[in-house]
Amino acid sequence: MDYVFLVLIFLAVLFLLLGSGVWVGIAMMGVSWVALELFSNSSTIGQDMVSQIWSASKSWELAALPMFIWMGEILFRTRLSEDMFKGLSPWMARLPGGLVHANIVGCTVFAAVSGSSAATLTTVGKMSIPELRKRNYPETMTIGTLAGAATLGLMIPPSLTLIVYGVTIDGVSIIKLFFAGIVPGLVLASMFMAYVAIYSKVSKSWNPDQETGMTFMEKLKNSRFLIPVILLVVMVIGSMYLGFATPTEAAALGVVGAWVLAIAQGSLNWQTFRDSTIGAVRTSAMIALILAGSAFLKFAMAKTGLPKELAEMIASWEFSRFALLMVLLVFYIILGCFLDGISTVVLTMAVLEPVVRTAGIDLIWFGIFIVVVVEMAQITPPIGFNLFVMQGMTGHEMGYIARAAIPMFLIMVLMVFVLIAFPELATWLPDNLRQR
Amino acid sequence: MGVLRSLRVGLDFLYRLAEFIAALCMIAILALIMLQMLARWSSEVFPGAPEYAAYFMAAASFMGFAAALNRGSHIRVSLLLNAVGPKMKRYVDIWCFAVASATMWYFVWHARQFVYWSWKFNDVSQAQDRTALWIPQSVMIIGGALLAIALTDSLINLIFKGENRISHDNIETQEV
Amino acid sequence: APVMAETWDMPMAYSASNFHSATGAEFAKCVTTGTGGELEIVTHPSGSLFKGADIKRAIQTGQAPIGERLLSGHQNENALFGFDSIPFLATSFDDSAKLWKAAKPSLEKVLSEQNLTLLYAVPWPPQGLYFKNEVTSVAEMKGIKFRSYNNATSRLAELTGMLPVTIEAAEISQAFATGVAESMVSSGSTGYDRKVWESLDYFYEVDAWLPRNYVMVNSEVWADTAEAHKNVITGCAELAEYAGNWRAKEYTGFTLQGLRDGGMTVGPASDQMVGELKEIGVTMTNEWLEAAGDEGKAIVDAFKAMQ
Ligand code: NA
Ligand code: NA
Repeated sequence: MDYVFLVLIFLAVLFLLLGSGVWVGIAMMGVSWVALELFSNSSTIGQDMVSQIWSASKSWELAALPMFIWMGEILFRTRLSEDMFKGLSPWMARLPGGLVHANIVGCTVFAAVSGSSAATLTTVGKMSIPELRKRNYPETMTIGTLAGAATLGLMIPPSLTLIVYGVTIDGVSIIKLFFAGIVPGLVLASMFMAYVAIYSKVSKSWNPDQETGMTFMEKLKNSRFLIPVILLVVMVIGSMYLGFATPTEAAALGVVGAWVLAIAQGSLNWQTFRDSTIGAVRTSAMIALILAGSAFLKFAMAKTGLPKELAEMIASWEFSRFALLMVLLVFYIILGCFLDGISTVVLTMAVLEPVVRTAGIDLIWFGIFIVVVVEMAQITPPIGFNLFVMQGMTGHEMGYIARAAIPMFLIMVLMVFVLIAFPELATWLPDNLRQR
Repeated sequence: MGVLRSLRVGLDFLYRLAEFIAALCMIAILALIMLQMLARWSSEVFPGAPEYAAYFMAAASFMGFAAALNRGSHIRVSLLLNAVGPKMKRYVDIWCFAVASATMWYFVWHARQFVYWSWKFNDVSQAQDRTALWIPQSVMIIGGALLAIALTDSLINLIFKGENRISHDNIETQEV
Repeated sequence: APVMAETWDMPMAYSASNFHSATGAEFAKCVTTGTGGELEIVTHPSGSLFKGADIKRAIQTGQAPIGERLLSGHQNENALFGFDSIPFLATSFDDSAKLWKAAKPSLEKVLSEQNLTLLYAVPWPPQGLYFKNEVTSVAEMKGIKFRSYNNATSRLAELTGMLPVTIEAAEISQAFATGVAESMVSSGSTGYDRKVWESLDYFYEVDAWLPRNYVMVNSEVWADTAEAHKNVITGCAELAEYAGNWRAKEYTGFTLQGLRDGGMTVGPASDQMVGELKEIGVTMTNEWLEAAGDEGKAIVDAFKAMQ
């Protein structure tokens, strides 16, 4: 099969459909159809399409996503999020970078609640975007940091990507992977925050509203507004780690918890209930259509054998350890432009796992490496999940959002080198914390 | 004109009804997950709960597709659409609706076949719920068909009336 | 270069390094080499083409010409598919081989009615019981949260007084780590692959049953396959079944040692527990016979006659 021809046709059709404005999920279906029609021996393309889409839509793991989106909608529509910012702003306004840090901290905290980056993005974004806009923070910073930091949902446990990686590769413990993700996740969050601090000092367009001065006691008193949301987060995380709930169940607890808070605060009425439910239905439907398209695209890629062929090509070259990692970095960044992270892991790891093992690379460490690369895929065009979700939330052009996220992408590339230089960031905790 | 008018009213009612059903499905997912958890806490068993939640998950998505389209919730790259003039924009939009309608009708056609086979093969759930799979899968045909109808509806409107039915308000400012 | 090269995509559910996937990969290579490249089989492990639960249907409808599936997953559809997963009926590799011999004609018949032609079957290592705490009798199992994934495992929990909790595969590790579940029935290899010793401490080699993975081909595709190719495929399938059996046995010892090295207590259950579990086995065999009817009875009778 002529792979060069396949790649050219694939790119041409993808850019034609996406670029002309066909809805993303449907464009992905169209591209997959063309790829299968021209480059596979399948005589059952229609059935393939339906079976992949059904299998992806009917998913228990997926059920956590609309629950978290719903929770975010409730928090947003019942002023709970507004309150949270009332509590946060006096403390953070004076930091270099101000409340933009709330974006990153919020994502980091929520990453410990949810295993997906879309859920992290919608929940935190729903709360923070309106508040940051109100205070005149530069829109590119608000959007860029959010798109980037939301990907921490994949790194900080629980993490869907790490589960898939752990299941795909025998002998790699998912629990160790989870522990391995904690420190790199926090390091990456700190790098995002450092960037925000530096940007705020250097940039001329940085001119958010100043908070009126508060005494320490006033600030402390204002912090009471933080209590409800902190309670909610603690309840959700606690239920998971104390063995009361699985991650999916914890998401449902989050919705119920948000209702309880809203009732206690007196802001839950028929209108907010209806609006939050319909809002969650629309956002989930939007995400589900893209997931449907991406399930079919993943199948088309598996069927044409392109990712596997590329992986085999890499496997056939003899690289030093560092060179191999660099090649893989480039390989996954390119794949990540077109496929979602979990698909790339499933499609390529069977071929690359032996290569990575032979090169003497620790597979737990490599899992974290993969997650950073998969995180990048969330914010690289033309197919980047966080870009889509962000567009749905803010109405901005995809190009605008992708540009705003470029610094975050570069920070993640830097993070890869930090991981290579200090592998202990990922390996120390799992090696030492659970020795028995 | 009476027929067209009632068709318009009927279709709009259908989209909203589907969205209402999608909302009920969301509530059902929540209820099922909570019940499963409460059952375990009280040493009871709720067999098949995750499966039912998964079917409702699919139903919530498919029943929500059409209304999400009409409200402009589905994502598209609007770079080109914003760059061209109004006349050209109409042609580009016609192309988009035509491609999307064709894709979704193709999907519906094969979904019908897929579900027919589930029924013919007596394909049952492999988990504890033992559900005959054609039942939850049928929602996929209905939801897919509604999306296809909504796309075709918009396509026809655009061709004959030159107006785009999709409101471009984003979720933040949306009136429900 | 081959003239009319044909490619068969072969979906498989388990990860590439699993011994079933390794056996499948060698089978594919054997066919490709044996037909001089005229028929190439390409394996897709890890559910990367079709997920495990979807593979049987994919072969039936011709979406995939060939594939591998744990047939006992389909017992809801036909109780006969569960013949290899009746607790405490066949509890060793030898017995499992006899049971398979007894069941093969009936199973092939059911499969052929579904447009499926069987090529080969390879057993998993024997299923044992995993627990967080030491258990010496069925009475001590009462109230323990047991991971069930189908009707048979739920019934097993019910009969032992355990509480069946449904945990999806993706959530297993977390469920054990946090105590949402405290026990499961599975092979030593699953426990080894998932490193369950991080959460669970006891593995009892009760050898409850030895389920099989089946490699099947779409019957229409099979009918259209050239006679020469069919011969190669059948030969390779025989080889794969033999090699897979051997691997399963080797792997059993290896994984149990792996569980020990991980810090688990691995060993046979107490005599009392074995006796009580055998009784439960009789109950469940009878229940299965009721569901599987005459054909089921013929299988079990034939199996017992071989003892
Ligand atoms: Na997470
Ligand atoms: Na991307």
